[in-house]
Amino acid sequence: MQNKDGLAPLETAPFVLFASSQNGQHIFAANAAAGRLGFYKGQPLADARAIFPTLIVEAADSEGDDKALLQLALWHQCYSPFVRADAPNGISIDITGCAHLFGGEAALLENLQQRLRRFGLTEKLGIAPTIAAAFAAARYGPAARGVITDETLHDHLAPLPVAALQLEAVTVAALAKVGLHRIRDLIGKPRAPLVARFGPQLMMRLDQAFAKQDETFGALAAPPFYRALRRFAEPLITMPAIEYVVQELAADLAAALNRAGKGARKAELSLFRVDGWSETLAIHMSALGLSRDGRHLARLLCERLDKVKDHRGFGFEAATLSAFDVEKYVPYQNVLKTEEKRCKRPADLARLTDRLVNRFGYRNVTRFAPSASYIPERSASSTPALQGAAHHDWRTHLRVLQGGNFPGRPLLLFASPEPVKTLAEVPDGPPIRFEWRRRWRRVARAEGPERIAPEWWRKYDKTNRQTRDYYRVEDDDGRRFWLYRDGLHERPGDKPRWFMHGLFA
Amino acid sequence: MKPKPNLEAPILHALRRRIAKQERFAPKRRALPSGIISLGAAALDDALPDQGLRAGALHEFQPAAHGDLAATVGFAIGLLVCILRTQPGFVLWTEAAHQAFRDGALYPLGLAAMGADPDRVIEARGPKSKDILWALEKGLENAALTAVIGVLPENDRAYDFTASRRLAMRAAENGATALLIRSTTLSDISTAAETRWSVAAAPSAPQHRVAGTIAGVGVPCWRLDLTKSRRGTPGSWRVEWDEETLSFRLAALLADRAPVQAARRAEQGWACAS
Repeated sequence: MQNKDGLAPLETAPFVLFASSQNGQHIFAANAAAGRLGFYKGQPLADARAIFPTLIVEAADSEGDDKALLQLALWHQCYSPFVRADAPNGISIDITGCAHLFGGEAALLENLQQRLRRFGLTEKLGIAPTIAAAFAAARYGPAARGVITDETLHDHLAPLPVAALQLEAVTVAALAKVGLHRIRDLIGKPRAPLVARFGPQLMMRLDQAFAKQDETFGALAAPPFYRALRRFAEPLITMPAIEYVVQELAADLAAALNRAGKGARKAELSLFRVDGWSETLAIHMSALGLSRDGRHLARLLCERLDKVKDHRGFGFEAATLSAFDVEKYVPYQNVLKTEEKRCKRPADLARLTDRLVNRFGYRNVTRFAPSASYIPERSASSTPALQGAAHHDWRTHLRVLQGGNFPGRPLLLFASPEPVKTLAEVPDGPPIRFEWRRRWRRVARAEGPERIAPEWWRKYDKTNRQTRDYYRVEDDDGRRFWLYRDGLHERPGDKPRWFMHGLFA
Repeated sequence: MKPKPNLEAPILHALRRRIAKQERFAPKRRALPSGIISLGAAALDDALPDQGLRAGALHEFQPAAHGDLAATVGFAIGLLVCILRTQPGFVLWTEAAHQAFRDGALYPLGLAAMGADPDRVIEARGPKSKDILWALEKGLENAALTAVIGVLPENDRAYDFTASRRLAMRAAENGATALLIRSTTLSDISTAAETRWSVAAAPSAPQHRVAGTIAGVGVPCWRLDLTKSRRGTPGSWRVEWDEETLSFRLAALLADRAPVQAARRAEQGWACAS
């Protein structure tokens, strides 16, 4: 519960948050002091103000609440990688196989409770063998929390109200009307009449709570295949200490991948802060083999650590490094001779690519590839360098495009052609003067046209459907340009316009 | 008179080699296969101290005027072709993303037309000049690269003497060549570059491939000013690109359009007379 400014509510003074709806403003949440005075959720705000004029009132921020809940859920990943946020006010953790790390389920509960209380949160916790039962136990269970086991599942759930089964309000009201208030009232009743009257959801929820039917757990993040974990007795706050931990984690993860004969394409570092916040950094690797090199992993991560620098808060108490996109790694021998001219050591290039990609982004580190099109902006494309190298026959491509060994393609190409004003001797000839970027230039030499027709099999918007005539021109200063006229004068319906598309050396 | 045998030359040479080893720019990691890049034109090579540009060093290029960036890039790519012809390895091309959008992005077919293999080029686009310098430095450290090219944005203040010295030392350690294209403004700072070239576009020799009143465009032509050379002397040349040998050659001095104009006048005269 937080207001728009993210301020913590006052503890002693009566304080409520309000939400606006069609019927006016209502109390959305009230703190303990306000609760003692008898304010409740859904009460009209005007009534509350009339009863207690000095009541502190703030607007509720549901979006902020959801974000904070998500952030808190992510922090819980230091308990288990399977975590989900149950809006508006819950978090579920799948602790299967994780409890022993904290000394058992009861100890884990104790640990979690202490932490949450230190964050200043009011918590209600429950551990149960099924998701639905844990939900019911945490929200409707007795104040003395306990760990529900398979044997005690029935005893614990039976006295709880039917609302604990996450039913719709209509169903709960309908059940109350026929005197079915508690879960024990439903157990052992004939199923068919209940389903016929209240719909299939009721029985499904009941079965899920008693482990007779499966329930899916939509975790926030995909579970990693390999994960290295470090917990610290004292929170880490200095950057050198964090870097050291990153190096250790990277070495651990690389060793685990090496042992399993696997390689990863993506790794994620999560740092868990003492105050319920977590920071995540993702890095990508171009070659599987590189993820098996702990030092390379550590270097990539350390270059990104300045993102965390301003979010250290009171320090980090745990850190994990997880590997994603894991594949089987087949070691291969470096190419000996055929590749020699192009690359001496392919692994070195992959290392550089990784570092560039992790700083500039996936799309900003590219290699060139030819593509089969005569349209200049489409006859070559940029592919992300992470996808690896390929051999292309550029000479043939150029010959196909230009029909000769003629240097008719510019060195620099504009992403979007720029309109120019021209003056031509004859309408379908090259210009003798043109204005580009507010400067008139006289054409001293010109060559063309090279006619490029649009691809009829493609769908264009209307402006792009005209045939282009390309001219190479040189102005008085010797600067060389690639101009084109979009549209032909002799063709009815065409509206010829001139554009600047590129610059020659 | 019998010429005096030059006894000092071998001694000087030995001394120079001894000092070179102690210099901070000395190559450390690997031996250079060919430390000198020949430009092709003898007049150009002779003006440079090592009969060519030194590999494993930082070379700077500046457009002589505002619109000469394309010409400068063209000259640098020409040098790159000279490097790639003799040395294996990849090339890193890096520039600011906004600059690529405004001044045109490197077009692989244009590269191929000049004789460079686009498969050997890796393109990286960073947001700021600080990132470009970082990428250049990391590229020079990498053994797979043989050259790096960076285009610094205009009015850039991240590049100073320290930055240039970092690049020069990385280049020397690894034997990779750094080519840096700088903007015209703020050019008065001193840097650790081996050479600095001021490049302007020059009218090409007219080609009469097509019939018409305007002559065809010839091969790329530049007016070069070597404004700084650490161990050589500055100079000025008119150079053009030789498409057959993929190297530079001196442009013919008479490459003017005067004959074309004359031909045009004669044509007009004939038209009037008839």
